[in-house]
Amino acid sequence: MDCNGCEFHPELFYDDEYQIWLRREDDDTLTVGMTDLSQTIAGKIIHVRVRRPGTRRPPGKPVATIESGKWAGPIPNFIDCKIVEGNEEVLENPVLLNSDPYNAWIARVEATNGADAALAEFVTGDKAHEGYCRRAREDDIECQRKLR
Amino acid sequence: MPDRDQNRLRILDTGLRPAAENMAFNRALLECHQEGHSPHTLRFLQFEPCALVGFHQNVDQEIHADYCREQGIAIQRRITGGGAIYFDATQLGWELYLDKQFLGTADMGRIAERICTAAAEGMQKLGVDARFRPRNDIEVDGRKISGTGGAFDGDSILYQGTLLIEFDVEDMLRILRIPAEKLSDKAIESARDRVANMATLLGQTPDLDYVKRTIAESIAREFAVEAAPADLLPEEDAAFREALAEIDSDEWVYQRNRPATDAPLHEAVYRCDGGLMRVGAAVDPERSHLKQLWITGDVFVKPTRTIADLEASLKDTPVAEMEDRVRAFFGEREVEMLQLTPDDFVAAIRAALVQAEAEEAAE
Repeated sequence: MDCNGCEFHPELFYDDEYQIWLRREDDDTLTVGMTDLSQTIAGKIIHVRVRRPGTRRPPGKPVATIESGKWAGPIPNFIDCKIVEGNEEVLENPVLLNSDPYNAWIARVEATNGADAALAEFVTGDKAHEGYCRRAREDDIECQRKLR
Repeated sequence: MPDRDQNRLRILDTGLRPAAENMAFNRALLECHQEGHSPHTLRFLQFEPCALVGFHQNVDQEIHADYCREQGIAIQRRITGGGAIYFDATQLGWELYLDKQFLGTADMGRIAERICTAAAEGMQKLGVDARFRPRNDIEVDGRKISGTGGAFDGDSILYQGTLLIEFDVEDMLRILRIPAEKLSDKAIESARDRVANMATLLGQTPDLDYVKRTIAESIAREFAVEAAPADLLPEEDAAFREALAEIDSDEWVYQRNRPATDAPLHEAVYRCDGGLMRVGAAVDPERSHLKQLWITGDVFVKPTRTIADLEASLKDTPVAEMEDRVRAFFGEREVEMLQLTPDDFVAAIRAALVQAEAEEAAE
């Protein structure tokens, strides 16, 4: 399922630029992470900050920020949600986002209108695979999970 | 994708401002650029005396805050990454607001390199041999003359740098908590060896307008765009006021990303046939990460910038990777050393790291 060496998981949900992935949990919360494409573009990540649990975040207001090299910026957020928790392991060791982007989740959030309504805006499965590969090709991204 | 003129660069000069206003401009202009309202922009800025921490840093870890308050030096938080800096009117700030389409790449490392190379060319035109040094600094013969950092939001980026016109290293050491100050009695000389400024290099203080014009021309040439001065747009001004209200506050400046993981400096002295090396290592114990190294000594290494480059290449390195990195560093370049080998550097750094572990265990 890989494209240009970039790992892809058909069961996850993605934004239309394949920057983040979302997974629905049994308790109807959503887990948010960075895609292999995103971590590759970002380079070695040295800081991650997740907003305080309980904070409400509307679309466009980030759930988390990262810093790599000397770049700082948001992990994009597209849904109206409330922060449930940040991944302590990743906060302690941000470079896990580079080495294992699909296990190293960033935050769990609760979608204001429920997980189903939120996920309806995202792509998954074959359609996502196609778009993911297209982005890797068009932006000429060769994924590297090795630490730089 | 916003309908923006990809062939024009606005030159915006916001003059001398308090730190909070300059930070609010960063937020407002990046936001307006991301929303498609702002043109691609090169901004020149100057600061009233201030200490600025990087976006994810903690003020108390990076800055002598009490000293700043006594001296009336403002403390602010940038929206860009990187380390703490001291800024005053003797430095010129430059920054670019562009998008990934304009830059032709989404790779953050390549974007930083391209912008720094363009800015360095401008500095060359001013008569100093400025070059990009990987990991985002512009240097002259191994000494930093411009530190840089960036922020991104969607497809828009802000990339900014300082240019040291005149610079007082002693002021910087009093304001920033740079572990180098503890390194030796010769701390100031040692810090002075690591930074360069235009006035000293040129033998006179260059005219600021001339500096701005020259840098703008080089950047316009590098990106093949027409650059022309223009004012702030009304929507940018509104966004600026809104951003200022949030940024000019203790909540913004003193926010903590997470409990402080102090990275104390651990020192070791290493003797070998080639001389004596003193290594200071700032280690983040929770992450087993080497944050930064300082190496001094009476060893002979040519080119002389090698040690500064080695320090730069080992910034933010997992402790477990240190040895491989040092060997790879020396494997990649020709270095002349007198009775000194890469093994000596590995051993000297390891000595400082052992010290770090011992002190950590004792706490």
